[in-house]
Amino acid sequence: MTGPVLQVENLGRRFGAFSALEGISATLGRQRITAVIGPNGAGKSTFFNLLSGALKPTSGSLRFGGRDLARVPQARFAHLGIARSYQITTVFPRLTAHENVRTALQARASRYDFWSRRDRLAGLEDRADALLDSVGLAGRRGRPAAALAHGEQRALEIAIALAADPKLLLLDEPTAGMGPEETKDMVALLHRLAEARAILLVEHKMKMILGLSERILVLHHGRLIADGSPAEIQADREVRRVYLGQSGGYGHA
Amino acid sequence: MQPLDQTVLATAPPVPRRSPLAGGALSRWRAPLSILALLALPFLLPSQALAVNVLIYGLYAVGYNLLYGYTGLLSFGHAAFFGTGAYVTGIAIGAYGLHPLAAMGLAVAAAGALALALGAVSIRSRGIYFAMVTLALAQLVYYAALQASAWTGGENGLRGFTVARIGLGRLAVDILNPLTKYFVVLAFVGAALAMISRILASPFGAVIEAIRESETRARACGFDVERTKLLAFVLSGLFCGLAGALFAIHLSIVPLDSLAYHTSGMAVVMTLVGGAGTFFGPFVGALAVLVLEDALSLWTPHWQLALGTVFILFVLFLPRGLWGTALARIGAMRGRP
Amino acid sequence: MDWGSLDLELIAMQLFSGVALGAVFVMLALGLSIIFGMLGIVNFAHGNVFMVGAYAGVFVMERTGSFWAALILGPLLVGALGLLVERFLIRPLAGRPPDDALLLTFGLGYVLVEGVRILFGSDGLPFATPEALSGVADLGVGFFPIYRIFVIGVVALVLVALWVGLERTKLGLIVRAGARDPEILRVLGVDIERLWLWVFGLGIALAALGGVLAAPMRSVNPEMGNVVLGEAFAVTVIGGMGSLLGSVVAGLLVGVVVSMTALLAPEMASIAMFAFMALVLLVRPQGLFGKPGLGA
Repeated sequence: MTGPVLQVENLGRRFGAFSALEGISATLGRQRITAVIGPNGAGKSTFFNLLSGALKPTSGSLRFGGRDLARVPQARFAHLGIARSYQITTVFPRLTAHENVRTALQARASRYDFWSRRDRLAGLEDRADALLDSVGLAGRRGRPAAALAHGEQRALEIAIALAADPKLLLLDEPTAGMGPEETKDMVALLHRLAEARAILLVEHKMKMILGLSERILVLHHGRLIADGSPAEIQADREVRRVYLGQSGGYGHA
Repeated sequence: MQPLDQTVLATAPPVPRRSPLAGGALSRWRAPLSILALLALPFLLPSQALAVNVLIYGLYAVGYNLLYGYTGLLSFGHAAFFGTGAYVTGIAIGAYGLHPLAAMGLAVAAAGALALALGAVSIRSRGIYFAMVTLALAQLVYYAALQASAWTGGENGLRGFTVARIGLGRLAVDILNPLTKYFVVLAFVGAALAMISRILASPFGAVIEAIRESETRARACGFDVERTKLLAFVLSGLFCGLAGALFAIHLSIVPLDSLAYHTSGMAVVMTLVGGAGTFFGPFVGALAVLVLEDALSLWTPHWQLALGTVFILFVLFLPRGLWGTALARIGAMRGRP
Repeated sequence: MDWGSLDLELIAMQLFSGVALGAVFVMLALGLSIIFGMLGIVNFAHGNVFMVGAYAGVFVMERTGSFWAALILGPLLVGALGLLVERFLIRPLAGRPPDDALLLTFGLGYVLVEGVRILFGSDGLPFATPEALSGVADLGVGFFPIYRIFVIGVVALVLVALWVGLERTKLGLIVRAGARDPEILRVLGVDIERLWLWVFGLGIALAALGGVLAAPMRSVNPEMGNVVLGEAFAVTVIGGMGSLLGSVVAGLLVGVVVSMTALLAPEMASIAMFAFMALVLLVRPQGLFGKPGLGA
């Protein structure tokens, strides 16, 4: 696939009279990390839910690899190559790490197979192990997800998302609640993952974003107020005004 | 649904699934082992009629557990499928003179078709809402049967069909002998158990468990959650319909109560007391509840007071049920170095 | 069906019966909705609470000989029982999945039915219409049983009292805020557990009041609760879970649907409300007044 991965055009979402997102336009290329930032209530979650199909836009359009997503049901997004993580870790808690990933892999291979053995599906076992290994969880294979440490659960969620072999990976605060060590591991993982796919992430840790991403989108009150490289965003007056108007400002959070 | 997933994370201590015994041999050989245990049952219980009831209600609860324990959908309307299985069997034999095996096949198909219809209406509602909707829909079926008394016998129940022999041609067996009847019913139940075990071990089985664990994540992975739930609902209805068909053959009458709220509740009670989400648990629950009934009803007509109390105690203190708790104990013991 | 025989007066009679029947449904659905809105749980013993309410009415009336005492003391007694249930059975389940409270109240249903059987016997009991309220009244369009007019009046009074309580008092403000976001109450330092206790008791008392009111209109027996539970759920699902307005509208609507079906096709009357519910679910899965997201 050549050309842009994702084309967002004049995207908007209303909830009754309330407009959560309005007039967002952006084009995402391949193999780079883009961050979405903005104060609380800026519309980041709505944006993510639209991109992952959990919500349908009320205006504008989304094209993925040239294909219009308007009528695509959410469950098909993963098949097309859009996968996501959630702000609150969303895995299958009582399944083992390995079962978590293997089940996710099934979404492409066998969804309505009532008769074969799930643990003998050709290739799935090994691919699940490979995915666990790629996020550093090879040693946790047989542990139930709920028994993993917080950082490990975040990594597991990413492994589950990777099972869809996504061309676009949406990550909602991948380092939320992590200590410095865990955050460092996650950043390294994100760099590795970005070599093969586009990553769009929401984050609050400003320092991390500035070092990690090649491009930053800034949302405020449901609108895109800035779009550029970290250097450009840092110099942007509107962004400074919005963030300095907030208690805490840059760098904290 | 995210807050719910959080609750699960916070409150459900993980069952160690890969422990050598609970997850390994016991799980791999669960269907043959269950059948083996059931083979001994009639020689351990005070009466063979009670043993047949354990088989039938056990299958009913296992079919129910497919939906509640494995897919995570709490239905309060499964009497609709049990009762339909029973009525269709009785009507097909009594009014149309169908061969018992054909009647049972028809009954299972009818229960499945009804599950498809009720599922189409209810499957979009979630959580406790689903429980309310299924309960009300089962009431609809109950009143429909009550009104269609020309077919169902209304309040008096369905009578006038007796099955003395079952099978094909010279292979038919006399089921008037209670012990023979037990093993004939066990043949059906055992076949159903083998099928259910296979389904649970299949990729589809993995998908329904995934939906139970997190609907949000399952959908994000690319599973059509609604369709999968509907399929699970229909599968569950089919097995409960088979249990109902066996119930009709066993009793030679179909009481209206087989469609009532009380019967829906029995599936819930037995599954929970035995252990939701475990393969053999519902049988243990059926056994425990029916033995309790058998023992207490000798002493008092109010045995359900004890049933209610025991059930409340299970919800409060033993939510994993008898078998579920036993499995967890075994797992913990084997898991420890 | 002979439409010619359906004169206006008959239709008015049935409409009116429907409203009286619906008024009782409103009591049931309101209790369910209030408890759900505040505690986030469904009371599966609700039908049996209704039944116990009717028996409590019988009990008080036998002791005092006064219907008025039964009408007031009956629901209070049962409401007090509700307080105990919340405190000692529901509260220990805090933090567990919402299914657990549902299952617990389901088990409680068995206990209530058998408890009543032990205390009052398994056969049904007669509950005579109080003398002062028997007979019929001419309302211009036809003659209507006074007792049914009385039932509608009592329910209307309860609705007004609830509305004033919720909209015009500080406690009501807390309850409404708590139904939207329990965390807010913790932040404000409200004793939320005590609030849950009283809201649960209130929901139970409303169901019991419904039971006392309905007693002279339908037969009182230990099994009636299971029938009533299905009816209460159908009404709540139609109205939209957790919506008080939905409970009122759906209760009256279902009452009228049932009584009109009874007029046109009597054999379909018991099926009508459940078929109506299925229809509503197909068109609006969250119910008429429910918030989307819960149902669909």
